[in-house]
Amino acid sequence: MNLSLIDSLAMGAALVGPMMAGSGHLRTNLSLYGVQTALLAVASGLVADSKHEPTMYVVALAIVVLKAIAIPFFLNWIAGRIAVRTDSTFWLRPPVAMHLCVLFLGFSYVLSQQLPVDAARHYSQIGATAAISLVLSGLVLMLTRRLAISQIVGFLVTENGIYLFALTQTNGMPLFVEMGILLDVLAGVMIAGLLLFDIKKSFEHIDVEKLADLKD
Amino acid sequence: MPPLLLIGTIPVTAALIALILPRVQATRMVVCLLIWLQFVLLATAWGPVAIDNGVVNIAHDLSADHIGILFVLLTTLVAASAFTHAPFFFAREEMEPGYRASRERLYYCASALFLLAMSFVFLCDNLGYLWIAVETTTLCSAPLVYYSATKHALEATWKYFIICSVGIAFALLGTILVFASSQSTGAGGSLNWKELVALGPQLQYPLLRLGFIFCFLGYGTKAGLFPLHSWLPDAHSEAPAPASAMLSGALLNSALFAIFRLSQVVIANNHPQLVFDLAVVGGTATTLAASIFLIRQHGIKRLWAYSSIENVGLMLVAIGFNSPALFFLQALNHSLSKVALFLLSGNIIQALGTKRLSEIRGLLQVSPAWSILLAVAACAVTGSPPFGSFISEWLILAAAADSKNYVVVAALLVSLAISFVAVCFYVTRVISGSPPRNSAAFAVTGTSLVPALLVVVCLIAGVTFVPLYVVGIR
Repeated sequence: MNLSLIDSLAMGAALVGPMMAGSGHLRTNLSLYGVQTALLAVASGLVADSKHEPTMYVVALAIVVLKAIAIPFFLNWIAGRIAVRTDSTFWLRPPVAMHLCVLFLGFSYVLSQQLPVDAARHYSQIGATAAISLVLSGLVLMLTRRLAISQIVGFLVTENGIYLFALTQTNGMPLFVEMGILLDVLAGVMIAGLLLFDIKKSFEHIDVEKLADLKD
Repeated sequence: MPPLLLIGTIPVTAALIALILPRVQATRMVVCLLIWLQFVLLATAWGPVAIDNGVVNIAHDLSADHIGILFVLLTTLVAASAFTHAPFFFAREEMEPGYRASRERLYYCASALFLLAMSFVFLCDNLGYLWIAVETTTLCSAPLVYYSATKHALEATWKYFIICSVGIAFALLGTILVFASSQSTGAGGSLNWKELVALGPQLQYPLLRLGFIFCFLGYGTKAGLFPLHSWLPDAHSEAPAPASAMLSGALLNSALFAIFRLSQVVIANNHPQLVFDLAVVGGTATTLAASIFLIRQHGIKRLWAYSSIENVGLMLVAIGFNSPALFFLQALNHSLSKVALFLLSGNIIQALGTKRLSEIRGLLQVSPAWSILLAVAACAVTGSPPFGSFISEWLILAAAADSKNYVVVAALLVSLAISFVAVCFYVTRVISGSPPRNSAAFAVTGTSLVPALLVVVCLIAGVTFVPLYVVGIR
């Protein structure tokens, strides 16, 4: 199989997903998230180059600065402040979660074959596989981890997958929309981060399984 | 005034005032007046356009059509009612030991921006902007749910934030798929729903179908679609009463409106069956499930939250039958009566110091005015004649019967009956009996003002048929 550079980058980013699911170390996970996002940013730069769309460079740059650098640093700072280093409690042990993600990668390949994308024009099956597997990896992270901060990371991975899907399967969303989405994600992470402080303060843990007082 | 300034200036000013003004007591008055000014300005500038069935062009990819204007006005009215009641609510909150002025400032700032974000949902032509606006409503309303900063509020906020964000993320995937479905049409793809409707049958159906399903589930999470509703009762119950009123009376409408816009695209693509299958079936299931949940409730605000879910189901059914008029009618009647109920429940909780339905007894002896209003508003929300919701629910049932979907009719009738009985049971229990001894002092006139006015408007809407003329049914 011949992989284009963009496809290889997308696949590289997708492979970071199982790695994150396999690591319980928060700092490693955040760094991996940064790497993954940087790979996607490079891929966006290449797409911008091949399609001659200067606005895409702006998006790629914004992704590097905000998502690949600022968000991991911010979350790392918070993790340091609330003194959490490892996500030691899992519903699913990390190796199992990692293998599940690898299985999902294969499953994504099957799913991407079913995708009714116009084959003649904008179709990159590898890109679609990578995107779907990132979405699924993010969901695995959100569902298997207990700590609130890991849920944020899982959400961000899912969001990366959705971005990759837009990148590989469409000919580019309008700049305003991309920027708006980016800002919303950033603001969401900020608010979630501030909530983390308060969860730690009033519950003395950030274990979401114990946030279960409210029910009918 | 340019329409963009008309919609944005006052909420932004109100948000800034809330942060800057040194006395919170002054903020309460100023913000309330500003939001009413916003309502009057919008009603005078856009109301005539809506009645003429015209369109206000705001900017590129932003415009207000007939139903958009109606919903913006309804949202602003709901916000204005909540802001009018808020001074009474916070005057009582000030006496609580945990009260902090800084939190109230944040509350005012966030709710003004919340109003702005919700208004934008109804004005976006671009589905990408629509997504951004809906996500911004989550961001702005999280501080409202978190107002009291208790453990329970924190838990409710976290659930609200995470569940809705993930839901909305799927709506983004859906939006991208809808965009992808328009790419084979030559123009290189569009996100503008008017252009998508114009392209109609040219859109690739398989992609559009996938996109619509994702958007339906994503925005449905935000609207409280069963079984994705788990965040809704928590958030509505933990938020302060004026915020619950805005969440229930305005936010749910805006999430449903996003589904409505996308359903128009699918229908233009000649696949009304997909919209029918998802919205009517999903809506009926939601209504039925919510009415069953209503039978056994422990918190007074949770009771109204489940009743909101039930109404969301009814509105979804209206969307499924491709009837924007019925959708708006049901939204209008539900919002007015539900805002009254949430504000009254806030009064009751403050006076009796408990949210638990089993502990709230003897309201008639505590305050006859509240009791009467609560009973009347509960009748209005359950769809009893002569209130407006009776007409809209009747018309939805008639639409279902006309299309020969007797299973839907039967399921809706059963759930409306169950919820009527359940709400009547709990309201009678709250009103009768003897009150707990420790009820606090409160101002009856001020706290009854807004609910009373809303109930009167509900009654007028039901007796005079004015809303029917406005939406153009008669």
